[in-house]
Amino acid sequence: MARVKLDDVSKSYEDVVAVNNMNLDLADGEFITLVGPSGCGKSTTLETVAGLTKPTSGTIHIGEKEVTNLPPKDRGIAMVFQNIALFPHMDVYDNISFGLRLRDFPKDEIDERVEEAAEVVELEGMLDRMPDELSGGQRQRVAIARSIVRDPDVFLMDEPLANLDAKLRVNMRTELQRLHKQLETTIIYVTHNQAEAMTMSDRIAVINGGELQQIAPPLTCYNKPSNRFVAGFIGSPSMNFTPATVREGDLQADGYSLSYDTAAVEGLASREAVEIGIRPEDIYLVENESEAAEPSTRVEVVTDVLEPMGDEIFVYLKPVEAGAEDGMGSVEEREGLLMSVDPATDITEDQTVEIVFDRARLHLFDMENGNAISHGVIQGAMMDTGPGEDEAQADD
Amino acid sequence: MAGSQDTVAGPGASGGHATGTDRRERLRRFWKSDFVRSSPFWLIPFLLMGLAVYGGIIWNFLISLTDYEGFLQPPDYSNLDFEMYAQALADPAVFSTGRNTFVLLVAFTTITLILGIFLAILIDSDIRQKNTVQTIYLLPFALSFVVTAQFWLWMYNFQNGLVNTVLGLFGLGPYNWIGNPELVLGAIIFALIWQFSGYCMVVFLAGLQSIPNDQFEAAKVDGASIIKTYWRVIIPQLKSASVSAAVVLMIFALKIFTFLYAMFGTYRPPKGTDVLATLMVREAFNLQNWAYAAAIATILLAMGLAVVAPYLYYQYRARAL
Repeated sequence: MARVKLDDVSKSYEDVVAVNNMNLDLADGEFITLVGPSGCGKSTTLETVAGLTKPTSGTIHIGEKEVTNLPPKDRGIAMVFQNIALFPHMDVYDNISFGLRLRDFPKDEIDERVEEAAEVVELEGMLDRMPDELSGGQRQRVAIARSIVRDPDVFLMDEPLANLDAKLRVNMRTELQRLHKQLETTIIYVTHNQAEAMTMSDRIAVINGGELQQIAPPLTCYNKPSNRFVAGFIGSPSMNFTPATVREGDLQADGYSLSYDTAAVEGLASREAVEIGIRPEDIYLVENESEAAEPSTRVEVVTDVLEPMGDEIFVYLKPVEAGAEDGMGSVEEREGLLMSVDPATDITEDQTVEIVFDRARLHLFDMENGNAISHGVIQGAMMDTGPGEDEAQADD
Repeated sequence: MAGSQDTVAGPGASGGHATGTDRRERLRRFWKSDFVRSSPFWLIPFLLMGLAVYGGIIWNFLISLTDYEGFLQPPDYSNLDFEMYAQALADPAVFSTGRNTFVLLVAFTTITLILGIFLAILIDSDIRQKNTVQTIYLLPFALSFVVTAQFWLWMYNFQNGLVNTVLGLFGLGPYNWIGNPELVLGAIIFALIWQFSGYCMVVFLAGLQSIPNDQFEAAKVDGASIIKTYWRVIIPQLKSASVSAAVVLMIFALKIFTFLYAMFGTYRPPKGTDVLATLMVREAFNLQNWAYAAAIATILLAMGLAVVAPYLYYQYRARAL
């Protein structure tokens, strides 16, 4: 167990900057997830911690020791790979014990540790199987056993569940959480799947274009995204964004206006335009207006496509004037709003409905740099965030 | 095809009329079956292969059991015995050529495989311009045996050959590579290795490049040095590549006759390089001892199978085939 600290870590290849000035400080025993779209630099960051890639600049500490230039084996880490990477010519026992045998551990101790690790991942009695005789989930367990058998200070996991089918992935997600609780080891977990990030981690580090966007507990990332990218990346389906011009006391968006509390949002009046962000579940039909903490004025829209999900219905909305008559064109250009409603709602396609936005859960972003200006636009009804919110918010 | 039905409906069945139409119906169905209709595509190659190769082997074996020699009378198949084999086993020429064949087969195959893996690993690990380098190593394989044989003959020339000239710079030699019975087999094996190690490397390189990168990374994280990574993790995964490379190499080693004939232009290569194949051709086409040559050919075949079979069996057991 150890804390992990990255100071100004950068990694650039010939003409590409993969990681740019990454600063991370992980507490001992923390489960942290690096999340971001493909090619954002999250795997490269993990590889620098593993020692598989040397950073171009910056330093890495594991525990009290600086490990920036140490080979992987001297860092006290273990890694689980996306393709599982079991050695196909070795049986389960040999795969798990490979690292120990290289270090010339006595036979008794190897046996004991392998037994123990196999027990943790529930692989007892399978030690003499070959990898190709195992199912995907079992292979993943072997890979995890192979990493815990060496009793590392830090676990590094590079999209370990990406190659499993959907049901197994959810099971393994729970097992990893259980494992983390049991071992209390620091875990750095890389994924592009925001659902994995939300459910498993103590904190999420959202990365884009090689740069850290926000590092905070999952609910903070969800409720108080530090910028437009985080807001759009975390949450499924994604947040709605609409540009709006700022007027005295209200925001004029495309076809509707939303009033705001001048006292609640400092300096908003001095801006000309902002980007409004609102999550699908924070838009309500007029008949459910009372569920919104701070309902806005009513806006008339036309429903477009319905996506019944079982537990909710996603409703795509288009502005009234672009509706029935001229059909396609303008809808394509304008990003429609997405609203989620209760499955029992009586709603059909191409129906004119009235909606309200919850102004307490409206996000405002800077038009240029996308940084968050405000979460909620009404005094006294600012966004309620999850536990541990003030603990960690990225400074930059 | 319809054999089992025939026996059931055959003599035991009553009502001759019914069986007659049945038979006609079955025959019609047989002619329309996939088996018959697809036969033009596989039957001819099947027969050619069967007669030319396996028929040839069997006929050769039959001849080896007779006392057939000369051109005067056809072989006498009425009196078959293993006399020729007894004669061959007692013949010191068969023993020495057999030993040479064996040494050549084993030494050439083993060294070429090891060299091939070594080169493949070097190229796989860091040389960037892989395609160019691959072609450079593969070129010798594209040369005909005749070309290789001729220019290695020049290279090994006692007075002006490149090999002796280079060794002379270090104050060694000159060695009589071709004339010395103790050196000539090694010299020929070396020339063959030169020709085939590139091919071997390409086969292993393809195998290496199909191994995903995270195998190396997993070994590295587990603390394996580069040598241990290759020795314990990567090379064991090259099983199927080594089967295909080894089989091809062994086949070429058994075809060594072409190389020797191209090098020396005679059925009698210098002492020390005489192999079973050259002995067999001499016995057959110089001396017309057809039966004796056939017996030697059968011994050569048995030897080839004996070397290849255990390896193939092992691979079969390990499910690499």
